[in-house]
Amino acid sequence: MKRLLGVFLGVLSAIGGFVDIGDLVANAAAGARFRMNLAWVVVVGVIGIIVYAEMAGRVAAVSGRPVFDLVRERLGPRFALANVGASFFINFLTLTAEVAGVAIAISLLTSINYLLLVPAAAVLVWLVIWRMPFSLMEQVFGMLGLCLIVFAVAVWKIGPDWNQLFSAAAHPHVPSTETPFTYAYYAIALFGAAMTRYEVFFFSSGAVEERWTVKDLGENRINVLIGFPLGGLLSLSIMACAHLLLADAHISVGTLDQVALPVAMTLGKVGLAAVLIGIFAATFGAALETALSSGYVIAQHLGWPWGKHLAPRRATRFHLVIILTLTGGLLFALSGVDPVKVTEYSIVLSAAALPLTYFPILVVANDPSYMGTHTNGRFLNAIATIYLVILLVVALVTIPLMIITKAGQ
Amino acid sequence: MTGRVLHLSLDLLDRQLRDRDGVECGKVDDLELTRDADGQLWVSAILAGPGVLAYRLGRRRIGRWLQRAHHRLDPPTDGPDDADPTRIPLPLATNIAANVDLAVNRVDLATYATERWVGDHVIGHIPGHDHDGGDDAPSQ
Repeated sequence: MKRLLGVFLGVLSAIGGFVDIGDLVANAAAGARFRMNLAWVVVVGVIGIIVYAEMAGRVAAVSGRPVFDLVRERLGPRFALANVGASFFINFLTLTAEVAGVAIAISLLTSINYLLLVPAAAVLVWLVIWRMPFSLMEQVFGMLGLCLIVFAVAVWKIGPDWNQLFSAAAHPHVPSTETPFTYAYYAIALFGAAMTRYEVFFFSSGAVEERWTVKDLGENRINVLIGFPLGGLLSLSIMACAHLLLADAHISVGTLDQVALPVAMTLGKVGLAAVLIGIFAATFGAALETALSSGYVIAQHLGWPWGKHLAPRRATRFHLVIILTLTGGLLFALSGVDPVKVTEYSIVLSAAALPLTYFPILVVANDPSYMGTHTNGRFLNAIATIYLVILLVVALVTIPLMIITKAGQ
Repeated sequence: MTGRVLHLSLDLLDRQLRDRDGVECGKVDDLELTRDADGQLWVSAILAGPGVLAYRLGRRRIGRWLQRAHHRLDPPTDGPDDADPTRIPLPLATNIAANVDLAVNRVDLATYATERWVGDHVIGHIPGHDHDGGDDAPSQ
């Protein structure tokens, strides 16, 4: 019974933790601009993250080693260094966006200018990392993030023509007001938002933090196979809300309150409160994960002691990296950068850099010296290889598309 | 003399080092090879610590600078090798598998210097630094 509860909590945390500021912005912006013509990208992204996270979790549970630990020894220090550099930088952008997102969520609730709240948000994130136990942290913010279900409730309340909705999603095309280039750019942004890399760093390090073993593989699979698709449905609800209420009114999404607007319009004050709590939880949870990931990336690459489960005195450099990165993110956010722009850059660059961490995991997941009998099956390898090709294509076209479309104009 | 034959870059280099308590204490940044009387090459020591990896990747000046900075920061005391704290004689490696287990305490290794410094000068001053942040995980 206790086991079932654990699994149930795990799934709920996976759903609530799936959505972060990247998904909020990307799905809302895509829905407002492209209606449901990019819905298929979310589906592709969800399958991708399922494959990716399952492998990462399995590698961590069976070998006891998380991602960056293995990148260096499997692919050499030069590749690893490039990987660490790119990953750390993109992670930093994401962290800044999430911390800003937390501040914005609080500012929408309290009407205080969000810039004043950025330092408080960063300190709060650090305090939780410093003191709150790992699984409690995951569960609390995962569950609170479930408030975002209000987007699905809003769609149901609007009561659209369901046939039309599904048909629009199932027959994507490039709208006449857009070019194939902007369409592709937004597709990459959505893809990057779904296949969030820090999620995978966090996932595999988290598995080691919580001392997963082979016995936990089943639970890992359930979390991933049920939680992520439901999270994807949540993303699609955000897109549908924007499509139904913002697109006709030609409201484009440039700020977080525009993301929340459809819910406020449909469900009034209660809906607004729920969505703001959900946005706060989603961005706070993601801020925790990206902050920890910055520590994981550096510490695992260099072989330092790492982990939330250790007292800070036992993992000093790991915690110092987290503190410094949070401080840097806080300063960057305070410099007045548009948090939505930072979010967009972080998800797009994240998509482009996916092969860097995906490839090593795929290699190790097939290596019996780490995995024993738990290497990838043939079916999984087939899908995983298809995704590797997709990721490489995305990596190649991202920068050119960014230049051509001037970052999505 | 016979010994284990390893593919160094696949099986030994860049592996995780663990001390006698199982705690992470760096990576195998480089290896010291010695040629014996018959011309056979043997791995005589593991090299790990500030500057070693940079040196191996060709950034010699950065590597040497890091080594000297570390020397000033934390002069060698009773490490496995007094003259060069980054040198861990191979007999101290008790097991070479996915990790390399060492028979020393991490505090005696060069890789621990910055950990100690950060602990003394930064983390140690923040309240709660001894608090075990884990769930049921035993603190080290």
